Amino acid sequence: MADAPATTTVTVTPEEFHFVKYEASAIAAVVAELAELLGVTNPVHVVVDETTPLAKMSAEVGGTSSDATITIRAESGALEDTQHLTHFSADSARGALGRMMLRARDRLRPDFADTPGDLDLSLTENAAWDTYCAGRLARIGLPVNQQRFRYNHRNRFGFSDAVDAHFARLWAADDLGWADLCE
Amino acid sequence: MRQFFPVQDLARDERFVQTNMAERMADARTALDPEKKSKKSRGSSNRITPERHDASDAARGLMHGIMVGEIQALEGAGRTAHDFEAGDGSGDTIPFELKLDMARQAWDEARHVEISAKLSDWMGTELGQFAENTVLFQAACSDDPVLRLAGVNRALEGLAIDVFTQMKEFGNLAGDPYLAFCEDWMLADEVTHVKMGSDWLRKVTEKDPERRAKALEFQQVVDKLFSFGGARGDSEESPIGLARRFRELAGFTDGEVDKIAEMDHDAFEERMAAVRLAQEAAGASPAPA
Amino acid sequence: MADTTTTESTVRAPFAPWDRRDLPGSFDVAETARRVGNYKWAEMKLFETLGGWVATVPELDVKMRLGTHCYHHAWHAELWHKRLPELREMKPERLTVPANDKMVEFIDAMAEPEAPELTIEKLVGVYRVLIPRFVAAYTFHRNNTSEITDAPTIRSIGFILQDELDDWRDGEMMLQSLITTPEHVRRAADHQARLESIMVDAGGIAGHGSIGFGDDPSTEGGG
Repeated sequence: MADAPATTTVTVTPEEFHFVKYEASAIAAVVAELAELLGVTNPVHVVVDETTPLAKMSAEVGGTSSDATITIRAESGALEDTQHLTHFSADSARGALGRMMLRARDRLRPDFADTPGDLDLSLTENAAWDTYCAGRLARIGLPVNQQRFRYNHRNRFGFSDAVDAHFARLWAADDLGWADLCE
Repeated sequence: MRQFFPVQDLARDERFVQTNMAERMADARTALDPEKKSKKSRGSSNRITPERHDASDAARGLMHGIMVGEIQALEGAGRTAHDFEAGDGSGDTIPFELKLDMARQAWDEARHVEISAKLSDWMGTELGQFAENTVLFQAACSDDPVLRLAGVNRALEGLAIDVFTQMKEFGNLAGDPYLAFCEDWMLADEVTHVKMGSDWLRKVTEKDPERRAKALEFQQVVDKLFSFGGARGDSEESPIGLARRFRELAGFTDGEVDKIAEMDHDAFEERMAAVRLAQEAAGASPAPA
Repeated sequence: MADTTTTESTVRAPFAPWDRRDLPGSFDVAETARRVGNYKWAEMKLFETLGGWVATVPELDVKMRLGTHCYHHAWHAELWHKRLPELREMKPERLTVPANDKMVEFIDAMAEPEAPELTIEKLVGVYRVLIPRFVAAYTFHRNNTSEITDAPTIRSIGFILQDELDDWRDGEMMLQSLITTPEHVRRAADHQARLESIMVDAGGIAGHGSIGFGDDPSTEGGG
C-alpha cells in the first residue's frame, strides 16, 4: 500500500508476483505519482493478471464521489518492458495506467454518467477515448508516441483526411463529455 | 574475417536488445489458453485481425518482429554468400550460382528491412522498442550450407510467408493503404526465396541422400521452433495462421504443409503443458476476473 | 525495253555517318578473357566481403546498403562469368583468378576489419580504394577495346560502371557522415594509405597495365 502526498490510497493485487518480475510497490508508486499529476484523490486499486502477456486494461469507478474506489484491471503486458520480457517498465506503466486514471477521472463527471463499462465499449469508442486520454498525457509531459495512437485511430475509424482531422481534434481536446467523444 | 559468424556477435546499435528462444519459452504466461476463450470480451480467435481489442499494438509488435527478422535474414544471406568457397557443392563449397542467389537474397532482405522500417514508422513503433529474438539468424548459422538452405529458405521463409499473409489480410481488413500493398510485394520475394531453397537443396544433395535426409530433418526441427509454441498454426488460437495457399505457390506440397500444421499443434500442446507446469510450480492462481 | 519505273536504291554504307566505331582494339580475345577473369575474381571477392560484413556492422543504414551492394557486385561477377565462355574459356573457373599475389594480399587486408567499431575502415577499403580501381579499370577497358569486335564486353561494362559509380557515391556519402572527428580522419587516412600501397604493388584489378600504365605488353599499340 502506498500513500501519495495528496490523499490517494493505492493498493495492488497480487502483492507478490510469480510469473513476472514485478513489484507491487513499484506499480503503486507509479499510480501515486499519476494521481498527483492528474489531481485524482480517489482510492485506487490495481489488479494485475500476470498469467497472460497481453495488455488489455479497464477502469471502473464504484460511484461518483471522491471516495469511490477506482479499480484498474491490467493484463501484465500493459506494464511490461517490451525489451525485457517479464520485467516491469515504469514508462510503459505510466502511459497505460495514466490513460486508465484519466478514464476513471472522466467517469466521475456527470456528462460521463451514460458511458458503458470499459469492457462493453465498441472498438471505435475505445479508440476515441484512448486518443483523448493520450493527448492529455502528452500535454502534461509524459512521453507518448502520437503516431502510435494516430495509427490505432485510423485502424478503427479509417484511413482518410477526415479521420486524421478527427484524431487531431480529440488529441488536442480537454474537458470533453461522453457525447463529445462519440460525435 | 572469420569464416563463420556466431549469433552472439551480431552487430546492433544501442537501441536493440536481444533475447533468445530459451528466455521466451521460460515465460510462464501465455495468451494461448483454450480455457480462456470464454473470458475474452469479443471474438474467440487469437488471430491478429482488426477485431482484436489490441489489434493495433499486436500488429505493431508483429511488424517490429518482421523488421528484426528481415535484418537477421539479410545477415544470414550475406554470410552464406561469404562463408563458403565456390565449388561443386561438396564439403565446404557451394556452387557459384548459389552464391549469386544468396547475394540476390541479401538484396531482397535489405529491401524488406527498408519496407519494414518505413511501416514501423507508419504504425508508430520505435526501432528497438521490442526485444529481438535471434533464433532466426541461428537457423542460418550451420557449418553445412545445405542445412542453412533448409533452415532459412524453407523454414524461415515459410514462416515469413505465414506472417506476411497475416499482415496483408490485416491491412486489407483495416483499409490501410500501405500495409497490404507492402506485404504483398514482400510475399512475392519470399516465394522466390523458398523456391531457390527447394531447388538448390535438391541439386546439391542429388547424389547424397543421407545429406538430404539430414537437411529435411533439420528443417522440421526449425519449423517446429518457428511455431513459437503454437503462436503459428492452423488453429484459430494461433495469432499467425498457416498460409496454405501462398505456401503452395512457393512449392510446398500439401503433405509438407500438413506436417508443419501437425508440428505446430504439437508445439502448442507442449507449450500448454510447460505453462501449466510452470504455473503450478509458482503456486499462484490467476487474478480474479 | 528498259524498265523506266523509278526504284529507290537501298544501298547504304554499312556504317551510318554518325557511327564512328572502328575496328582496332588494344586487347585480343585471350587478353580480354584474362582481364575479364580478373574482374570476375575481384567482383566475387568484393561481394563475398560485403555479404560477410552485413552482420558485423551496427549502423542500420550501412548494414542495408552493404546488402544491396553485395548483390550489385555479385551480378557483375555473373556477367563476367557468362562472358568468359564467349571468349573461348569453357571452364570459367580457370581464369577466375587474382591478377597476382598482391591482389590476394589486398583483398585479405581489405576484408580483415571485422569488429563492430571498424565501420569506417571497412567502407574506406571498398569505397576509397577498391571501387575507384574498378572504375578506372573498366573505363580504361571500355575506351581501349574494339568497339565492334568486343561490343558485348563494352555493353556489360556500361551497366557495371553505372553501378560502380552509384555505389561509389553511396559509400562516399556514408563515409562522410561517419567521419566526424580528427581521430576518424586519421583512421580513414591510415587505412586507405595501407591498402593503397598494396594496390600500387598489385598494379590494379587486372594487375600491371590495368589502366594502360605499367609493365604490361598488352598495352603496346593500344594506348
